Amino acid sequence: MKVVTGVVGNDIHVVANRLIDLSLRARGFEVFNLGVNTYLEEFFDAAVETGAEILLISSLNGEAEGWGREVKPLKAKYKNIDDLIMMIGGNLVVGAGKAEDIVPRYKKYGFDLVCHQVDLNTGLDSLEAFIERRNAQ
Amino acid sequence: MSLLQEEREIILGNEYVDAFDFAEVAEFVKNANKELFISHHFKNKTGNKMLVQPRGGFPTYKQQYALYEFFVEANVDVLPLTIDSNTRLNDYGTAKKMLRLSEENDMDMLNGYPLITHGYRTTRKMITHFNKPVSLRHGTPDARLLIETAIASGIFDIEGGPITYLLPYSKNFPLDKAFLYWKYVERVCANYSELNEPINRESFGPLTATLVPPSITIVIQLLEMLLSLEEGVKSFSVSFAQQGSMIQDVVTGAVLKKLAKYYAGKIDCADAAIHLVYHQWMGAFPTNKDYAEQLINVSTVIASMVGADKIITKTREEATGIPTKEANAKTVANTQYSLRILNGLPNIVDEEEEEILTLEVKAIMEAVFNDPADTLWRQVFNSIKNGTIDVPFSPHIINHNEMITVRDAHKNIRIIERGNVPIPDRCYEYEKSQCDLAKDTTSIVNDIVHDIGIMQ
Repeated sequence: MKVVTGVVGNDIHVVANRLIDLSLRARGFEVFNLGVNTYLEEFFDAAVETGAEILLISSLNGEAEGWGREVKPLKAKYKNIDDLIMMIGGNLVVGAGKAEDIVPRYKKYGFDLVCHQVDLNTGLDSLEAFIERRNAQ
Repeated sequence: MSLLQEEREIILGNEYVDAFDFAEVAEFVKNANKELFISHHFKNKTGNKMLVQPRGGFPTYKQQYALYEFFVEANVDVLPLTIDSNTRLNDYGTAKKMLRLSEENDMDMLNGYPLITHGYRTTRKMITHFNKPVSLRHGTPDARLLIETAIASGIFDIEGGPITYLLPYSKNFPLDKAFLYWKYVERVCANYSELNEPINRESFGPLTATLVPPSITIVIQLLEMLLSLEEGVKSFSVSFAQQGSMIQDVVTGAVLKKLAKYYAGKIDCADAAIHLVYHQWMGAFPTNKDYAEQLINVSTVIASMVGADKIITKTREEATGIPTKEANAKTVANTQYSLRILNGLPNIVDEEEEEILTLEVKAIMEAVFNDPADTLWRQVFNSIKNGTIDVPFSPHIINHNEMITVRDAHKNIRIIERGNVPIPDRCYEYEKSQCDLAKDTTSIVNDIVHDIGIMQ
């Protein structure tokens, strides 16, 4: 399966981005990595261009919160990506926050899977489980 | 008028520069006190004493002056001038606004000294007052105006380079432009070097400070050195940062020194003075401040084993934010103390590791020189573009990111996936044989996470 990934906003945290790339490949995904400092438009453009089934956005400096609200209206402008699996992970707030508050908020922004400060492999396990569930439907 | 002079007049005609007086600046450099030149100190070091240089830059003149007073009190050898991030990105308007806010509100709105905003006339007063060599630390892809202003201020040690200031810091600043902007810098440094002691140029060896193998570090150091020497620079510092294994540092230092001399000679620049600079650990620091001091001390021991000419220090507050002037000065005093008591060091050589590393570096250098482009900077540009040179964890879009490195049982950084980098087969087999590769990729990813954070 094809995955588009990258770090959203003015965020230069490259180490996690490389590790996500490496881990996804190890699990057999075809990866299109947009790298750090990526704008939301670029993610959706890449999803359309590559025909990806999954979009995995990461954020470490917490600014995803600011971008999150724009996800739904922006996604609505694109055709043929209604079935795109939307996942976000990393450190999703500035300062401290509780996962039980953060996860529902990001689900409302339009994400199917939300991993706030979750270990990389656990996060990717949940992605694979999600795909399996969806295929079974 | 030469093309370079025409370009200089355009650069210095910038609206944020207050009437740059070319003749006055040349006269100042010509008559400047030799104590201001680090090249002079390198030449006249007594008993091979390693020079100690901390890091540090504050927004206001007053704060920077106070920092220097602390450093001098702690017996510093080289003063730093770290530039704020707006100035680094040529955004002088924001730097000016933030300096005013910092001055008016007694609150730091900049993470360094905005040199263009303060200007050379003001800054020169401070630098000539302390009469110590000052090293410019920045991270600027287009540093033409910054370097002109620095030299006019009396700063004669200039860090940076087109590769080492771009690949670790930027996603999409065009690399070819960076080469041309730095060519200007090299020429200006070379021209001023004819007036007095040479201006020293220093490359930034730590790169991403994240599992960069020594072969890549050395190749980039050598190439930036050659790009500088071919423009006429006569004093150059190659550098690298603590890697995590003492023996790997010792081997890296030995090979880097040997090959720097070798390649300088090959382009008929054997008359240039080449120095070695060692950075204390540049990766993630322990939050425990006492542990941080232990790490700094171990770094100093290794720098001595490596035979560095200058050491650049960290502080016990590294993990918690921008260090205070007190913590910064403390590290200088402690490092000077460690250096004073580090006597009778054994001379350690690992011939096998040196041979492997030398073969790797020479193979990559040969591939760069075999590129059909007509100038060295274009050959280097093409080599980065096609992955002959690949820097682990660089955020830049031009970097290949195919190379994968991990630590072996002794914490040496080893290449387990070479990508397009022409690591000779024998060396590649040797590197891989040092690591446990039977693991699945998930475990290797976990190892990498652990290997990055070994000092925490």
